[in-house]
Amino acid sequence: MTNATNPADLLLFEASVEGRRCLRLPELDVPKVDLKQALKGAKLRSKPANFPEVGELDLVRHFKNLAQKNFSVDRNFYPLGSCTMKYNPKINVTLLAQPGFTRAHPHLPESDLQGHIELMYNLEGYLREISGLPAVTLQPAAGAQGEMTGVMVMQAYFEDRGEGKQRTEIIIPESAHGTNPATAALAGYKTVTLKSLPDGGCDLDALRAVVGPQTAGMMITNPSTLGLLEPNMVEIAKILHGVGAQLYMDGANMNAIQGVVRPGDYGVDVMHFNLHKTYSVPHGAGGPGAGPIAVAAHLEKFLPWPRPAKSTDGTFSLENPNAKTTIGKVRSFFGNYGALVMAYIYMTQLGREGVRRNAENAVLGANYIRAKLRGHYHIMNDKTCAHEVVFTDATQDKENGIHALDIAKRLIDYDIHPMTIYFPQANVTGGHGAMMVEPTETESKQTLDFFIDVMKKIAVESKENPQLLKDAPHNQSVVRLDEVRATTQPQIYCPMCMA
Amino acid sequence: MPFIQNTDAERREMLAAIGVKSLEELFHDIPASLRINMADASKLKLPKGMGELEVTRHIEGLLAKTKNAGDYAFFRGGGIYNHFVSTLVDHIALFDSSFITAYTPYQPECSQGTLTFIYEFQSCICALTGLEVANASMYDGASAMAEAMMMGKHVAEDKWRKEDRNTLLLAGAHNPEYEEVVRTYAHTAGIKVVNVPAGADGRIDAAALKTALTRKVFAVAVQSPNYLGVIEDVESVNQARTESEALLIQCIAEPLSLALLQTPAEAGVDIAVGEGQPLGNHQFLGGPAFGFFAARKEHLRKMPGRIVSETVDRNGKRAFALALATREQHIRREKATSNICTNQSLCALRALIHLAAWGKQGFTELAEHTVAKTQYAMKKLAGVEGVKLVNPDSPVFNEFVIQTTPGLEKKLLKKKIVGGLPLDRYGKGRRGQYLVAVTEVTTRQQIDAYADALADVLKGKAAAVTS
Repeated sequence: MTNATNPADLLLFEASVEGRRCLRLPELDVPKVDLKQALKGAKLRSKPANFPEVGELDLVRHFKNLAQKNFSVDRNFYPLGSCTMKYNPKINVTLLAQPGFTRAHPHLPESDLQGHIELMYNLEGYLREISGLPAVTLQPAAGAQGEMTGVMVMQAYFEDRGEGKQRTEIIIPESAHGTNPATAALAGYKTVTLKSLPDGGCDLDALRAVVGPQTAGMMITNPSTLGLLEPNMVEIAKILHGVGAQLYMDGANMNAIQGVVRPGDYGVDVMHFNLHKTYSVPHGAGGPGAGPIAVAAHLEKFLPWPRPAKSTDGTFSLENPNAKTTIGKVRSFFGNYGALVMAYIYMTQLGREGVRRNAENAVLGANYIRAKLRGHYHIMNDKTCAHEVVFTDATQDKENGIHALDIAKRLIDYDIHPMTIYFPQANVTGGHGAMMVEPTETESKQTLDFFIDVMKKIAVESKENPQLLKDAPHNQSVVRLDEVRATTQPQIYCPMCMA
Repeated sequence: MPFIQNTDAERREMLAAIGVKSLEELFHDIPASLRINMADASKLKLPKGMGELEVTRHIEGLLAKTKNAGDYAFFRGGGIYNHFVSTLVDHIALFDSSFITAYTPYQPECSQGTLTFIYEFQSCICALTGLEVANASMYDGASAMAEAMMMGKHVAEDKWRKEDRNTLLLAGAHNPEYEEVVRTYAHTAGIKVVNVPAGADGRIDAAALKTALTRKVFAVAVQSPNYLGVIEDVESVNQARTESEALLIQCIAEPLSLALLQTPAEAGVDIAVGEGQPLGNHQFLGGPAFGFFAARKEHLRKMPGRIVSETVDRNGKRAFALALATREQHIRREKATSNICTNQSLCALRALIHLAAWGKQGFTELAEHTVAKTQYAMKKLAGVEGVKLVNPDSPVFNEFVIQTTPGLEKKLLKKKIVGGLPLDRYGKGRRGQYLVAVTEVTTRQQIDAYADALADVLKGKAAAVTS
C-alpha cells in the first residue's frame, strides 16, 4: 500500500496546481486595454479569486469519482417518499440540449420566440385540463415558490375585496409539510394548526370550529403527507367557501390522482404542481424544479405576468392583461423554462391515457408494497393508500431498539436509496420513526419484489444481528456522519479558496 | 406503455396480492361522481401520447419557429448573458445522469458526490465574493435578492427590537426584473421599498442616498454593475450607511465582473446575492440557472437555503453533510425565515465545473477580454454619427447605454443584428436609449457590423427626414 493520495479523491482546491487549466480563449481580436484606465478608477479586487486550477482529465475524473459516490434513479431504486423519484426519460435532456433552447435569450424579439411561447401556452393548457382549473402560471421556480405565489394570489384576492385586514389566518393540518406553515407565516398570516383524525384524514368538526370571518384559507395536501386520499375534499371546500375563505391544495402528491380526479372539481381554488415530481423533470441533486400554479376563475386576474397568449391569427405573444391587479413577478423572466420544456416533452409523450395510467400504476405499486410487507413492519394506516405508504419502526424499535434510521442505512448496503425517514414527524406517527415509501409507476414488479425481499431480510436481521443495522452502511466510503458537528462547528468552505 | 414497464399480467398479480379486483377500486376514496370517466372525451382533453420520434419532430417544429442568440450578432444582456458554455459542463452535469437523477442529499453516505460538489461550489462563491458564508444556491438572482431582503428584515427584528425598521432602499439603477420580484415579496411581507434614483452619471446619487438613509431603513441594496452597466462605488455606500447602521446588500447580475472588481467583502457588504447564469449555465429564456447567496459570518444562522458543511464520519474520516437544518422550514415551520426547500444544485454544479475549467487565471482572462471588447464596442458605436454614450465618464464592465434614434430594432434585425436592449420601457426620458452587452463570444467583426449597420440605418433615417 502507498500513502500517496489518488488525485481523484482530493477536493478540486487541494488538487489545484498553479498554471493548470482546461480552457483557453481565442486570441483577443480587439486592442488590449489598460484595466485601470479602462475601468475609470473603479475599485479593483486586491487579489484574484482563488479558483482551482486543474487539467481537463483530472477535472473529469474528479466529477466521475463524485458521481460514483451518489445514488441516483438511473443506478438505484430510489423510493424516497414525497419526492416522486420516477425515471427521467433521456429524450428530455437530448432535446433540451439544442441551441434553440440553450441559446434562447429572454430579450430576443417576440417574433423569434414564437415556438417557445407556443410551448408554454400548450403546457398551461395541459395543466388546466389536469387541474380542472381555468388559469395557470408557469413562473414559480419550485413547489415552495408555487405555494408562496398561491398564497400571494389569495392575499391579493382578499385585498381586492377589501377583506385584506380581516382575513388573518391560514389553517394548516398538523401533518402538513413544513413548507406550508413557513409560506403562510412569511406572507404575514397567523397559522392555525388543525389536528388530524387518527387515520390522517381531516377532522371536519375541528375544521368547522376554527373557521370564521378571519380565515383566509386552508392549505391541504391531497393525497395527504401520510399517503392517503382525503375522502372529504368536497365537504372541506364547502366549509371554507361557507365563510368566504379559499382552499389551497398542495399538489406535491399529484402523481397519485392526475387524470383520476381534477382538483378543481373538488372545489379547490388554488393548487401548485411540482413538475419535477409528477412530470419527470430530473431532480438535479436538489433542483432545479418548477412549481406552476393553477387557479379558479375569480383568481386569474391576480396571477403573475407575463402570460402567454394566442391571437386569432395563430401568433403568440407575452401579455400583461391585468396590470392593475397582478401580484407582480415572483421570478425573473419566465421561470425555469428549461425545466418546463422537459415537463412538456414528457407530458406530450404521456398524452391523455398516459397521465391516467401513471396515477393508477403509482398507486398500484405502493399498495403492493403495503400488502407484501404487512406483518413485517408496522403500517401506520393499513388501508388503501395512494402513491406512497408509511411504515414505522414500532416493531423493530420495541423488540431490538432498531430505528427507522438504521433500517434506512441498511438499505444502502443493498444498493437501494433509503425511503423518507425524517417525515412525517413524530407528532403524527405516535412517536415512532416513519418510513415513507414511494415506488412510482416506473419501477418494474421485479424491482418492487427485490425491495420487498430486502425489507423482509432487514426485519430478520434486526432480530438476529441488530448491530449489523446499527453499523450500516458497510459498503460506502463514509458511514454515520457527525451531523451535529456540521451544525455546531460549521465549516462551509475549503480554507484554500480564501488564499 | 411509455415509461411503465409492468405488463397486464403483472398488474393482475399485484392486484391479487393487494386483494382488490381492479385499479379503479384503489381510488374508492374519491367520490365516484368526481372520478374521471375515460370514456367521456369532454374530460381531460389532452392530446394522444406521442412516441420518441413524433415528439422529436414536434419539438423541432416548435424550434423552427424560433431564433436564438447564435443566429445573430447579439448584443443583449440585461440579466442573462450570451456566454460560451464548455462541453465539459454538459457532459458532466447534463448527460451523465449520476447527478441529474439524484435528489437532495438527505442520506449523506450515498450522497457524498452531491455534498462534496456543493461544498466546493460554496467555496467558489466565498472566493468570488470574499465573504465567509455561502449557501448551496437559490432559484435566481431576483428571488435571491428578495430572500436577502427577507433575511435583512429578520436581522433587523432581532437587532433593533424597539425600532420600527421596515424600509428597504433600492439605491441606483436596479434590474427591473429584480425590482419587480423584490416588490412582490415586499408587498406580502409588509415591507416598504423606496428607490434612490441614479444620478446624471448613472451612479447612485450620494446626496439623495444620505437623505433616504433614516433609521426606518433596515437595509440598502445596491446593484453593481448596475442595470445601466455602470460600476457603483459600493465602498462609499458602505460609508454612507454607517450612521444609520442599515445592512448593506449588493446584487451582482454578472458575476464575471467580480473577477476584477472590488469584492463585496472588501467593500463592506453584509449580504451579496446575484445571478449564476453567466457561470456555465445556458440561457433557456432566463432559467433554470441559480441565484448565489453569500454573507458575513455573523449572519450565518439567519441565512436561507441549504448549507453543506465539512464534518467527520464515525471513523473520523472527512465527510460532508447538510448543516444548520434548524433554520429551515421543515424544522422551524412557521418560525422559519424562508420557505425555500431545496436549491438549484445542478446549476450550481455547472458553475463549479465552469469555474474550475477556466481556473483562477482563465476566469480573470475572460473578464479582461470582456473589458477590452466592451471598450472597443463603446468606441466603435460612439464613433457612429447620431450615436453617443449616455454615461461616457462612468466606469462600466460588460454593458453600456447608447443614445440614438428610437425604433431601429427591426432594421438592424434585417441585417442579422440584435442590437442593444431598448430602455424606453425602463424609465421616462430613456427613449432612444439602448443597453448594449458584450461577452467573450462577441467578435470584433460583429461589433464592426453593428456599428456599420447603425451608421447605415441612421443615414437612411436622416435621408428620410431631409427628403
